[in-house]
Amino acid sequence: MNGTRVTRRRFLAGAAAVGAVGLPGVARRAVAQPKATISYWNGLTGADGKVMDELIEQFTRETGIRIEQQRIPWADLYAKLQVSVPAGEGPDLALIHTIEVPHFANDGVLEPIDESTVSGKGFRADEYLPSTWQGGIYQGKRYSLPLDVPQHILYMNVKLMRAAGLVAADGSPKVPASRDELLVMAKQIAKGDTYGFAIGTVNPGKYTWGFQNLLWQNGANVYTPDLKRSALAEPAAVEVAEFFGAIHAQHKVAPPANASCRDAFIAGKLGMWIAGSWNFTGLRDAKVDFAVAPVPRLFKQPVVWSMPHQYTFPKPKALEAAKRDAAWAHIRWMSDHVAEWTLRAGQVSARRKAHSDPRITADPVLKTLLAQAPNWQGGQPTPKWVAAENLTRPVIETIYIGQKPARAAMEDLARQINALPE
Amino acid sequence: MRRAALTALMVVLAILWLTPALWVLVTSLKRTPDIIRLPPEWIPWPATLQHYGEVLLSSSRTARIGRAFLNSTIVSLGTVVIVVFASAMTAYPLARMRFPGRDVIFALVVGSLMIPNAVILVPQYVLTQRLGWLSTYQGLIVPEAAMTFGFGVFLLRQFFLSLPRELEDAARIDGANAWDIFLRILLPLSQPALGALGIFAFRSAWNDFLWPLIAVNKPDMFPLPVALALLRGAYSSESYGPIMAGATLSALPLLVVFLVANRRIIEGVRLGGVKG
Amino acid sequence: MAAADRGVKHRAPRRLRRGALTPYLFLVPGLLLFAAFRLYPLLDGLRLSFTNARLGRPQYAWVGLANYQRLLDDTRFHASLWNTAFYTVASTLPILAIPLVLAVALNRGVALKTFLRSAFFFPFTLSVVTVGLTWLWLLDPVVGPFNYYLRTLGLPTRSWLADPYTAMWAIILTTVWWVTGYYLVIYLAGLQDIPGELYEAAALDGASGWRSFWSITLPLLRPVLLFVFVTHIIGSFQIFGQVFVLTQGGPGDATRTVVQHLYETAFQNFFHFGSASAMAWVLFGVIVVFSLLQFRLLRGHTEY
Repeated sequence: MNGTRVTRRRFLAGAAAVGAVGLPGVARRAVAQPKATISYWNGLTGADGKVMDELIEQFTRETGIRIEQQRIPWADLYAKLQVSVPAGEGPDLALIHTIEVPHFANDGVLEPIDESTVSGKGFRADEYLPSTWQGGIYQGKRYSLPLDVPQHILYMNVKLMRAAGLVAADGSPKVPASRDELLVMAKQIAKGDTYGFAIGTVNPGKYTWGFQNLLWQNGANVYTPDLKRSALAEPAAVEVAEFFGAIHAQHKVAPPANASCRDAFIAGKLGMWIAGSWNFTGLRDAKVDFAVAPVPRLFKQPVVWSMPHQYTFPKPKALEAAKRDAAWAHIRWMSDHVAEWTLRAGQVSARRKAHSDPRITADPVLKTLLAQAPNWQGGQPTPKWVAAENLTRPVIETIYIGQKPARAAMEDLARQINALPE
Repeated sequence: MRRAALTALMVVLAILWLTPALWVLVTSLKRTPDIIRLPPEWIPWPATLQHYGEVLLSSSRTARIGRAFLNSTIVSLGTVVIVVFASAMTAYPLARMRFPGRDVIFALVVGSLMIPNAVILVPQYVLTQRLGWLSTYQGLIVPEAAMTFGFGVFLLRQFFLSLPRELEDAARIDGANAWDIFLRILLPLSQPALGALGIFAFRSAWNDFLWPLIAVNKPDMFPLPVALALLRGAYSSESYGPIMAGATLSALPLLVVFLVANRRIIEGVRLGGVKG
Repeated sequence: MAAADRGVKHRAPRRLRRGALTPYLFLVPGLLLFAAFRLYPLLDGLRLSFTNARLGRPQYAWVGLANYQRLLDDTRFHASLWNTAFYTVASTLPILAIPLVLAVALNRGVALKTFLRSAFFFPFTLSVVTVGLTWLWLLDPVVGPFNYYLRTLGLPTRSWLADPYTAMWAIILTTVWWVTGYYLVIYLAGLQDIPGELYEAAALDGASGWRSFWSITLPLLRPVLLFVFVTHIIGSFQIFGQVFVLTQGGPGDATRTVVQHLYETAFQNFFHFGSASAMAWVLFGVIVVFSLLQFRLLRGHTEY
């Protein structure tokens, strides 16, 4: 068994090398060995999903490995993984977020990945952004490999901002430099059913990722640094909650809690929009005239929320070597083609090599995304992170719609989070 | 004169009533960028079938509606078969025979109508998992049948009681046994009730949402409501075309059944509601 | 099962004994289904409510009344009970009255009766998910037609599903659209059973339409009204599909009903089976109490 593995590993490494040199014929024959069909779950319901479809088709054409992709919205995906893996019905390959690794690993949903296998398949730590590489490790064991870094960015509707006179000398939209300036600018844009500012793709009232972004900008977080208690009742967090509640309920510059900010932005009814990088290729397809800028510093630091996608192997009922190899082949192939993924889906790759690709550095949006790297921050590595997030959603919604005052709501939320069982 | 005015009013109301459904159909035929255009356009022009193509043929979209259709059909038909037979076989002795425990059993079955499905949800999940029936057809059909069984027994017993006994008595004198009487006399005479129950069970299984949502983890075993709900996805204009196309498609079978068997359905509703 | 035992113990003569088994043979398939998938889970749920069972963890321990005690402090569970009660009460009048009004109108003598009846009945043929998605799209606060037309008419608009004061009413509206046709058909059947002579006699006596509705129609419709009422109430306690699709319990906890909260606890957010089972039994208890109250109160009124 050992002997075969070593041979196949060298085989694949050699094939990858040959393929990289550009002899497609040889590479196709070599890598086409495992002709398995694997199931692959992910939650890429945005514009990047279509790009994933295309890349998967290309992968199948080149390697003969068929992939049965199933896309379920992230929240439902996590619930389904939690439920199906213990029943022995999980997929062969799943794409999750870094922040999911601790609790899935803790619950035994994911299979640990041997580091020697990792290096054997040609993955090297120095090729990847450190935070993404480390993100796959929980309590000393690795459970995932990174693909890319979805993150937030500021989108601006050029027409709306020009109409409000919010342009710089060169005609490009002005970028707010502080919270107060943002509110002033947003009020100039907001009128009738047009809104000045929003955070979140859809359902901004419950957009925990945006809320976290603001928390981190103010030096606050969900848990204290020792991960033992919730820090959401502390003054820095309450300050953020007050702002979150003010933009819609008080200043009326942000859309309703259940609006689709994406639809509003495309329809020209939203001026400034902090949202995920996975939206921008869709905006280009819809021919929206927009500009981008780094996420503005609304509090103390210009932190940018980021949450890398990670490939992971849910624990199978019985391991099938052919399927596992096929899954590895796909991860390898996607890593090799990650520049394509970045260009077409707009997600910065975890692999550094692609960052110097001239096509990527020439694209203004991708360049901005890459430039945000020093300011990236992700969630805290506790298995209770997701449960805490589930509790947070309805609470920030009550703050957003002005139903509950920020301080009381945050204290209540901290209490609920502290009461989470292990 | 009064009649014409009332008719006109009712017709206007009826058309207004149908408008939401019309909006779904219209949206499903619009090109994606036109979907969120304001003012709302009620005539999709240019129209497109791309969303139907995507939900039916796309290889990797969230919901393979074509497959979900098949799943819903198999589960619904399976449920109908089991419910009709189990209910009929249970209602027959309860209506026509005397034996110890008859009233207790009937009380239990009718009493179970009061049990909310939510109470059974979690333990039924545990049971289904232990049987290895998660994400299988039987894991959907059998619990669905159990849900409608109580109502079926109630309905059929009521109906059997209303049938005259002469034919059965005559057959018994001729030497027929209980099974013959059941199969050859009682069932044929009960077609209206059986039909009504069948349609009720079909609709119940076709539209059930909560149980399949948790009992099916293999995406290509999702029945239609679950597939549609998960199509909801990121809830943005990108998904609405396929969502509306999926919704329209999912309404078609019952719409056809309804148009064809209009009388039978209304009769079934009456039987279930008024006589009960 | 006890009944079957009793039958066999009877020691009837051979000839009759075979006949004595017949009822039980007929009962076996249905009762097996019933016992395995209705009775057993019901009792097992009670057992689970006394444990800390969790999805995906095979070991669990007995915790006595701990789950129920936690429910006493669980403000979200209280909110869900309240929301469910609010929904049930608030939806009763529209759902009982609107189909009745339509049925009376249809019964009075209109043309195109079949078309009208079918139009109103059509939404009932849709699944709750389809209905939910339809109204989710209609009520979209920014690009939905509902708000658009309100705006053009100069009426105030809201984000109906995101406003805690209107969200539940939006759900009620959706449900009314869905089930009116069903109750309409039932009312029509009941109305048709009322002999026309009664109305003629009343008209001869000089009674107005309203008077005869009150004195003839309503009393004679009582059994039907009762059926509609009971069916509606039992269904309302368990409302889930509309909430899941339209609001997911939001905004905040404004529309979180008991079953929605149960589903989230067991299958979406926390996977606590023990806790969810306790919730389910509390709901069951409420329904039983309510049903008993109802039978007690309304028992005298069905005879006249």
